[in-house]
Amino acid sequence: MKITIAVSGINAVDNPGPGTGIIRSLKQSSLDVRTIGLAYDTMEPGIYMDDIVDKTYLMPYPSSDQDSFLKRLEYINSIEKIDIIISALDAELPVMIALKEDIENLGIKILIPTKKMFALRNKTELKKIAEAIQVKSPEYISCTSLSDLFNAVEKVGFPCMIKGPFYEAFKVNSLVEAETKFHKISAKWGFPIIVQKFIYGEEYDVVGLGDGKGNDLGIFAIKKMTTTSLGKVWNAISIHNEKLAQATKRMVQYLKWQGGFEFEVLIENKTQELYLLEINPRFPAWVYMAGACGINLPERMVKFLLFNEDKFPSDYKSGKIMIRYTAEIIKDIADFEKITTLGELENNPKITEFSNE
Amino acid sequence: MEIQRLASLAISDSGFIFDPVSGHSYTTNQIGLEIIRLLKEDKDIPEIIEYILDEFDVNRDEFETDLIDFTQNLKSYYLIGD
Repeated sequence: MKITIAVSGINAVDNPGPGTGIIRSLKQSSLDVRTIGLAYDTMEPGIYMDDIVDKTYLMPYPSSDQDSFLKRLEYINSIEKIDIIISALDAELPVMIALKEDIENLGIKILIPTKKMFALRNKTELKKIAEAIQVKSPEYISCTSLSDLFNAVEKVGFPCMIKGPFYEAFKVNSLVEAETKFHKISAKWGFPIIVQKFIYGEEYDVVGLGDGKGNDLGIFAIKKMTTTSLGKVWNAISIHNEKLAQATKRMVQYLKWQGGFEFEVLIENKTQELYLLEINPRFPAWVYMAGACGINLPERMVKFLLFNEDKFPSDYKSGKIMIRYTAEIIKDIADFEKITTLGELENNPKITEFSNE
Repeated sequence: MEIQRLASLAISDSGFIFDPVSGHSYTTNQIGLEIIRLLKEDKDIPEIIEYILDEFDVNRDEFETDLIDFTQNLKSYYLIGD
C-alpha cells in the first residue's frame, strides 16, 4: 500500500530543517511511501533532491492568513490524497495546530503538539516543567535594554551566557564582552536577550515521539560532539544514559506529549545534575540518526497514526557517530522555472548520471 | 572505591575506551587497560601495584606515582568514585 506523506522543513541549509532527515527515515523504512515536500522558498534544497522528495509544492508563508494556507493544503490534497502530514518547522507549527481539525476533516492524519505544549518554548514555562519532572533549569534573566543587561550580569555573575531569542549563544567573561554580544545578537535576532548562569557541563539531546496519552513510542539520546555557530548539532554520538532517559519519560508522561520532540539538557560536570535547556515541539534535523540506529521515529509516527501500532522496540546501539556533511546538487534551470512559476515540481529519482545536454 | 561506571565502558584491545553513558572516549596504553581490568575485578590499589610490578618491567616508585595520577584521571572523568 502506497502511503502519501507530506513533510515540511525541507530547507537542508546550514541551519537545517528536519524535513529531509524525516523523509530519508521514511524512504529507508519498511513503508512504501510517496513523499510530498511542503516548501516556503524556491531555494529550499529538498525541492531538488530526486531521491528524497517525490514532489514539492510551494506553500504560502505561515505568517500569512490561515485561509490561504488551508486552501493550498486542500489543493495539494485534491491531487495527492495525502495520508499524513509531518510538520517540522517551528514557524509553521502554530498554523498547523490552529488548523488541525480542518486538516483532519480533509482525511489527513497529523500528530502534533497542542497549543499549550508549543508554548513550552517560553523559558518561564520551562522552569515549571523542570521542577515537575525533577530536573534543574539554569537561572536566567530576560533583557530588553542595556540597563537590563547590566543588572542581569551583576546578579548572575561571570562567566555567563548571552543568548538570542531563537538562535546563537555566547559565553562571556566581562561586561564589555557581554555588551558586544548583546548588540550583535539583538541586531540579528531581536529581543529579548537572555542572560543565563554559565554551568560547566556538556550538552545532550534526546529525540522522541509521544502518543498524547503519556507514553513514548521511542526515545533516542545523543551527546553533541560538534555544533555550528548557531548551536546546531553537526556531529553526534549515540549514548545510553539512564538518568536522561528517565527524565525524558517523565516529561512525556507529565505533559502527555503528542508528536515528535527534542529534549535538550546540559549535564553539569561537577554534580552530574541534569539542567533542562529546551523542549522543541518537533523532530530535530538529526532525526535520521535515530532511525539509522534502530529507532525510526517518523516510521513509528506513520504506523501509530495509520495502523494504531504502539509497541516498538526501545533498544538501540550506543557508540554510533553521525557525520554531517555538505554536498551539491546540479539541476537544470527548468526545475527552478517550474517551482517558481507553477509552485510545484515533480522530481525524477532515476537521474543518476551527469548530463550536459 | 566506587567502580560501577567502569562496568559499562566499551574497551578495545587497542586502548580505545568509549563511555556509553557520557558519550566520551579516551585512549590509554596496555598498563592502563590492565589497571581498569583489575579495578573492574574489585582489586584494591596494593593488589594492582603488585600485579603490574609482576607483569611489566616498571619501577615501583614511578608506577605508584603514575597510578595515583591515573586513578585521579578516572575520578575526574567520573568513571570511579572515592
